[in-house]
Amino acid sequence: MALPAGTLASHELMSEATMRDEERFDHILDPTGQSRRSTQASSAAQRLPALANARVGLLNNTKQNAAPLLAELGRLLADGYGATVTIQRTKPTIAFPVDEPTLKEISAVSDVVIVGVGDCGSCSASAVADGIAFEREGVPAAVICSDAFEVTARAMAEVQGDAGFEFLMTSHPVAVLTPDQVNARAAELLPAVIARVTEQALTETAT
Amino acid sequence: MTGRAVGETTGGAVDDTTLTQGDIEYMYERGWTDGLPVVPPTRELTDELLATTSRPADEVIGRLDHLKREVTVELAAINSVMAGCRPEYFPVVLACWDALMLERATVGGGWQSTSGPAPLLVVNGPVRQRLGFNSTGGVFGPGFRANATVARAIGLIVRNALGIVPHVFEQATQGIPGRWAMCIAENEEESPWEPLSVDGGLPSGVDAVSTTLLRTSEYVDNRHTGDPEKLLADFADTISRTGSWIFRNATAGVVFCPEHAQLLAGAGMTKDDVRSWLVARCGRSTADLSRVGKSLSEKGVRGDHGDDGDHPRDGFDPLFAENSPKHLLIAVAGARNAGISMVVRLFTPWSGISARVDPPAATRQSVRLDRSNGT
Repeated sequence: MALPAGTLASHELMSEATMRDEERFDHILDPTGQSRRSTQASSAAQRLPALANARVGLLNNTKQNAAPLLAELGRLLADGYGATVTIQRTKPTIAFPVDEPTLKEISAVSDVVIVGVGDCGSCSASAVADGIAFEREGVPAAVICSDAFEVTARAMAEVQGDAGFEFLMTSHPVAVLTPDQVNARAAELLPAVIARVTEQALTETAT
Repeated sequence: MTGRAVGETTGGAVDDTTLTQGDIEYMYERGWTDGLPVVPPTRELTDELLATTSRPADEVIGRLDHLKREVTVELAAINSVMAGCRPEYFPVVLACWDALMLERATVGGGWQSTSGPAPLLVVNGPVRQRLGFNSTGGVFGPGFRANATVARAIGLIVRNALGIVPHVFEQATQGIPGRWAMCIAENEEESPWEPLSVDGGLPSGVDAVSTTLLRTSEYVDNRHTGDPEKLLADFADTISRTGSWIFRNATAGVVFCPEHAQLLAGAGMTKDDVRSWLVARCGRSTADLSRVGKSLSEKGVRGDHGDDGDHPRDGFDPLFAENSPKHLLIAVAGARNAGISMVVRLFTPWSGISARVDPPAATRQSVRLDRSNGT
């Protein structure tokens, strides 16, 4: 997706020429406290061969329309693919990543998890942190973010040590959709959700 | 604070001007500035700031665990140098930061919010004169180094030490005008009331900072009436707008100009009287709120709940949840030359706690961090 003019990613801020010249500026103290880059490693859990009998966990971050969107995705996975929604939880603090007890509780009874909807400044980033946490617990995770928050979601993936983490994007806005529009949106997202958590490749762009 | 001779580049001597310009460009390229040039933070300048506080350089004074970032006293000093602070301003920067960390939003996701809030910093006590903080004409700035650079230092700490960079972790849709530029001193000399820091739990006359995040501001110009109730009704009308009202209740503040404050006090009103008058009257009819899609559901959520939500159509929703300085903050600042005051919108209720500014320390050797990792 093309970004609007003026949009910068953190890794684009320093040119190579500046890197070479950096010793010239040793007398300038670093105001970030980030002298070392974090190490990056894929968090990806083993994907499922198929969704039949798969246990699905839903983590709702409380944004407007998040609960019905996740519920509809769960219904579509149950009706069309033989999965079962085993647990639905709501994050207590939208701005922060999921707490450890909830992470363990959901992971214990889920083969795949759907997280959403990243639709605000802090919660889009924290939804990505949630997804990475579930993957590290061994549970494939489909994280849904509004496409207006792509950059902040990507930046969080880097902070959490998995810069390549894949999340699903849906068109902004989500909060003002009617119930019928929410269901339509879930249907649109369904192929990408399935491709994200199973070994099946996505055959066409779903978002 | 001119450039320093740090050696040569390509074999020839380089004058200080060139070095300083190169430093400034380097800091732009690293993404460390707020868009304006910053002062190169050298070890020497940073140590001058650290020498003004007894707090150790490596003391952690703020953290955002979800972003894996923390702020130390030294990082605060480095960013304060960059902002253009004189060394003696640093205890004020630290007090601002301490007060900010008591705000619910600053340790939550507030800095990342699409609302794009920024702190209002209010300075009280003799430190205002000692360091030259403006409390009178044009108090919301610019034009005064102490006000401008202390507010800017906070913005640079958030940007650099917490890593909240615009378009990345800072997701402001538009942001508040005056972001990182709202440091005012209270006009205690022309205020008829106790300083804001007294509402924040400190004795009058103590050097202190009070702060909370603002969402926006709007002026009230009333040079039209000498009737205190009519004047307050003008404030109530502005405070009660629907546009900034998003949850069950809202919070606000008024930075009264001396003329308005003195008119109210002259009619026998204390600050608490003024607050009580406004809290009792600010709000909107449920019909008004319904008309803009902000009626209240049974669960207390504002939204477009069809016709008029669960409230009777002839009801009245009070704007404030509580009659307290946390929900309606009142301060006095500006010149005594007109009846023009500012209504501000708080992002969340104020903590209600003001932070002391440490007294000027006797010159002391700063504690140096181990630099083996480089900076």
